[in-house]
Amino acid sequence: MKITLPYAGIVLLIGPSNSGKSTFIQRLIEENKIHASEVVSSDDFRVLVSDTDFIDWKQRPKDEADNLYDQYQIISREAFSMMDLLIEKRCKLNKLTFVDATHLHADDRKRYIEIARNNHVPIVAVAFDVNQETLLERDDLREKPRGKRRIRQQFQTFKREKRFIKKEGYMASFFISGTNDIEIIRRTNNPLELDVANGIDVIGDIHGCYDEFIQLLEKLGYEKNERDLYVHPEGRKILSLGDIMSRGPHSLKTIQFFLRHVQASLGFMIDSNHGWKIARWLDGRKVTLNHGDELVEEEFNKFEQEHGEEKTKELKQEIKEFLFHAPSHYVLLKNGVPTAVCTHAGIKDEFIGKQSHLVSDFCRYGDTDGVDESGKPIRKDWTISHRTSQLIIWGHDPRPKPIITNNTINIDQGVVFGGELSAFRYPEKTFVSIKAKEDYSNDSRNPLKEWEKNRLNPPNIGKYINGFSVLSEELGEIHVPKKHVLPAIDLVSHHTVPMEELVYIPPTMSPSPKPSALDTYLEHPKEVIDYYLSMGVEKMVAEKKHMGSRGILLIFKDTDTALQAIGRNTLGTIYTRTGRKFFDEETEKEILTKLNQSLIANDYFSKYNTEYVLLDAEIMPWNLKAKELISNQYAHVSENAILDRATLKNKLETAARTNQDVIDWLAEYESKLENAYVFQEVFQKYCWNVDGINEIQIAPFHVLAHSKETFFHKPHTWHMEMNREFAAMDDIFVETEFKVIEDSRSEEAVIKWWEEMTADGHEGIVIKPLNFISRYKGKLVQPAIKVRGRKYLHIIYGMDYLLPENLKRLKERNVGKKQKLALKEFALGVEGIKRFVNREQLERVHECVLGTLAMESDPVDPRL
Amino acid sequence: MQLTIQATGEHVDVLSYLLAKNPNNRYERTNNGHLIRMFYNRFTSKEVEVTFFVTPDPIALSRDHSERYDITSYINDREFVVSSIFCSFLRSALGTALNGKPKEEYIPWVEHQFTFQFSFGPIASDLTDKQIENIFQPLGYDVEINYGQAEYQVDLRKKSTARWITLNGTTTLQAGLRQLYVLIPVLDNYKHYYIDEKEVEKIERFGKDWLNNHPKREFILRRALRFKELYRSLEIEGELKPVPNKTENRIRLNELRYEKIINYVNKCKYKESIVDLGSGEGKLAVRLGFVKGVQEILAVEPSEGETLKAMDRFEKIKEKDNFVQPTPVMSSLFYYDERLKNKDIIILCEVIEHIDEHRLPKVMKTILVDYQPKSIIITTPNKEYNQIYELGEVYRHPDHRFEWTRNEFQDWCVEQNPGTYDLVFDGIGEEHPTYGCPTQLCLFSRKEDY
Repeated sequence: MKITLPYAGIVLLIGPSNSGKSTFIQRLIEENKIHASEVVSSDDFRVLVSDTDFIDWKQRPKDEADNLYDQYQIISREAFSMMDLLIEKRCKLNKLTFVDATHLHADDRKRYIEIARNNHVPIVAVAFDVNQETLLERDDLREKPRGKRRIRQQFQTFKREKRFIKKEGYMASFFISGTNDIEIIRRTNNPLELDVANGIDVIGDIHGCYDEFIQLLEKLGYEKNERDLYVHPEGRKILSLGDIMSRGPHSLKTIQFFLRHVQASLGFMIDSNHGWKIARWLDGRKVTLNHGDELVEEEFNKFEQEHGEEKTKELKQEIKEFLFHAPSHYVLLKNGVPTAVCTHAGIKDEFIGKQSHLVSDFCRYGDTDGVDESGKPIRKDWTISHRTSQLIIWGHDPRPKPIITNNTINIDQGVVFGGELSAFRYPEKTFVSIKAKEDYSNDSRNPLKEWEKNRLNPPNIGKYINGFSVLSEELGEIHVPKKHVLPAIDLVSHHTVPMEELVYIPPTMSPSPKPSALDTYLEHPKEVIDYYLSMGVEKMVAEKKHMGSRGILLIFKDTDTALQAIGRNTLGTIYTRTGRKFFDEETEKEILTKLNQSLIANDYFSKYNTEYVLLDAEIMPWNLKAKELISNQYAHVSENAILDRATLKNKLETAARTNQDVIDWLAEYESKLENAYVFQEVFQKYCWNVDGINEIQIAPFHVLAHSKETFFHKPHTWHMEMNREFAAMDDIFVETEFKVIEDSRSEEAVIKWWEEMTADGHEGIVIKPLNFISRYKGKLVQPAIKVRGRKYLHIIYGMDYLLPENLKRLKERNVGKKQKLALKEFALGVEGIKRFVNREQLERVHECVLGTLAMESDPVDPRL
Repeated sequence: MQLTIQATGEHVDVLSYLLAKNPNNRYERTNNGHLIRMFYNRFTSKEVEVTFFVTPDPIALSRDHSERYDITSYINDREFVVSSIFCSFLRSALGTALNGKPKEEYIPWVEHQFTFQFSFGPIASDLTDKQIENIFQPLGYDVEINYGQAEYQVDLRKKSTARWITLNGTTTLQAGLRQLYVLIPVLDNYKHYYIDEKEVEKIERFGKDWLNNHPKREFILRRALRFKELYRSLEIEGELKPVPNKTENRIRLNELRYEKIINYVNKCKYKESIVDLGSGEGKLAVRLGFVKGVQEILAVEPSEGETLKAMDRFEKIKEKDNFVQPTPVMSSLFYYDERLKNKDIIILCEVIEHIDEHRLPKVMKTILVDYQPKSIIITTPNKEYNQIYELGEVYRHPDHRFEWTRNEFQDWCVEQNPGTYDLVFDGIGEEHPTYGCPTQLCLFSRKEDY
């Protein structure tokens, strides 16, 4: 007799005392078929809780017997409660557990059926059907016999219960009378686990879009062999997330493809809502074929016309079996470690790696919350409760782009609705996609269009108001505390451009973590270069820092695309680093019109196949935005300083003629007056008169995004080249000078360059790792560090900052907080733009922007 | 920051005793890193010139005074201009002269009048030259005011904001210094200024001989004590004084607007829960709290500052009878807020005109479709009435993004209505036969079958 055991779950042994349960288990342990730790027995637990395994009340006076019996009951109760807890924990951990007790009463068995169900593991029953004589014989041989009466009683119970066992809801039940001819078949690995091996290409919902699917396979590098099978030269395999059929034009062809490839061990397919329905239909059950399932029936009818009844029946049988046996989900193993999960509609963390009806149901349909007025299920967001590090790859719910939320990736891009068919390559984590040839669905409620329609809905303030976390790809979970959220919401409600177009707030930037080692400098490139080298960054760029005001430019191809993307008929938007409109309406319009025309004249949008470009830039002159500050602070302070110091210098000059005592005061004030003049010279350096837009300069230094891609994977040299391209297209755009640092020679050259330009009063340079996003030992490295010139710093640290007694104290500055904020804001910026480009919900883009605005309300020394 | 005292005439060399500073030595003391210094330029029996100045420690200064994390805390005029800081150093260095307590044999000279020139600066002041003259002329000085240089490559400013003051007059050293001691802080602009009790006392003492008869006495006191609690109470009294006509009209219009809204609320069949969207300081919300039948008022406002004011207001009257205290809610029209769903009345009182017109439809959709109140009351200025105000093309408030005529407003309301509401239009304030009322109102009432 063969007994097939599940990978995990409960093996419930049933039988009277002496029926051979423990002996059977003992033999399995000896034969190394099971581990001793996989067995729990009530006898052991009685000993563990009470040091007693058996109490004999036979032939005792009634009062003694009653009390001994009571004692036995109490011990049993405690023993079983401990034992059940242990079983439950093992089930939770997806382990196999043999429960060795008599389990003669239905109530006892029901408890374990419940435990198995609650933990989504199967339970099998192994009943020991031994005749009464043998039981009694064995009892006689025992050290502590249970006694004839008890054995007879147990045997009667077992006889009575036997016929119910089959119907109690076990995955399987086995009845054995002897133990000699029993073969135990045991799965040692979880059938849901799949080794990544040479790589797996996970495919989203195909829905019969066979042509796009084949195109995708070819793009992925699969080649058709002589047996008509698509094979990858590197041995990669295909894994479908289900919903292979229905809605689309070639359901049968597609499912046949998978049937053949799964049989040939070249692919895998997961169970899904449409697949399950078709399977039940093929099984002859009563189902209504709708939502595109009716097309599958049509295809079968057509198949029958072409190939006859026999072939059709055969095919139907094959497909039915195939669909019924599709696993609810797969767990991908990398070097034996489960790192990713593939499921159709969703999964809960506690379901991962487990098999049960409930698990299957959840994986097929996701978390649903009743139906809406048109009878469609309302989908609940299960992704928010995902906590583990496993990446969950899923489909089912079409979105225009693969969307990464909370360590889950949705790769159903609605090919059948005219979207795209996506593949997610694991473990590379890259996407490959094919555009649909057409919208095959003819569904009035096209989910891609619905998504688009609701995309710009106002964000739910409840998600932010009490503080919130943004899960960023670059820095994990970033927490934004409530006290900083409130001023940010105020800002967005009163002062910024509309949130639909506020897609990015540039991160703050730290100066060098270490002050210059030189006596007469506060900042110097040397320390920054050394810092980056110590962070494993070998190549850097040094970009000349323009002194103006930070500006973000979102420029659209035309007003229609803007209406689509941000819900406003405009050619674009230009805003400051705090999200406020940069220019007055008229000037903005004039600049945007000019830039738009220049870009169009240079075929920019068609050349790069984009609807918009998002630029991070410096807008000059400084007085354009900062005139008030310059006049009320800088000019005012310099006038007072010069008046004060010049007057004093004159007085001291007169006095010094007769009074030797004041000669050092005179020298002091001569140099102080000089400092005041430097101060006055420096702040004017960044100002010029603006009369109309002709004097305005814009230096874009990051091309953050086009409508289909972001550019965080491009090195800064690429961004600088783009910058040059822009400068050639329109005279408002200006170039940014830059140099690459890759060895000591180029390092020296940069330092020399910095010294020259800053001696001239220029602000300084920004040093960045060559790559936009750099990591060191897994940690994000500062994306940019500024090195400001000696002269420039007069307007930041005060005109006398270079005096030794001042400089010494100023060098004690701490950039720790600034650096932390810089990293968080950088990660939020990257995240928000990615989400915007992915056309994600406004709520998801806005949380990144709001996060950065909130962090900027956290006070930091403004001189850093 | 400096003061040069120049004196000419007989016996001026006595001044070194009155000042208690040896003409042969330079004087230097330190105080928290700031250097208090003095030197003689000239010292003869007929001419004396002495300069007193402070070389502050800029870093200590910015550390002490940076209340806000703002670059203006670090780059500011405090290290240069004469101010109360300067005066306290002046007092520490020239106490003898200020108190008129030189060595006994020189006491008679304390009362002696010399021909002085006091030259000090720079000053950073919002006072006009005329106002400055009006302060010093009654004390018997000729006033000369000179400006710093303000020449820039760019059009930054026409005139420098650095000024230098030279006073010529005949007075005693003590009186001259005491006047400067009191008046320099009066000139100074500084906003984050702190005077402790002792300073106030000093002002009283140093001003007692001349301030009472000064024609600008009240003005001087106001400015000198502007940061004192004492003065704050003065200001509040000032608020009660009759206000100019124009403002009065505005206030009246505000009242009429609230009255009208309350009237409409009273007429509404359902009024248990009311949302005041954009409630500001909570003036309307407070009035709603007294409306019979109202059980809940949400005062919705995104600004923390305004919300704090509103909370203050609610707190003050919460004990009153039949008053339902409004609940402040931090929220905004640009978000979706579940807390505002299914209320009886939502009020937008003078709110929509502060929002860019193109953003309004979305805001209205959230209110009308998502929140679905039984009634909505919207008020906004009637642009036509601006003729009466003679505003020309200017809006009534600099933050207004638009102002509408009655037709524009009515068309807009009709356009926003998804068909589920009945609309009633009304005016608020005195009606003009051609231009209508200064404020217009629309009541949206949800149709019964929706």
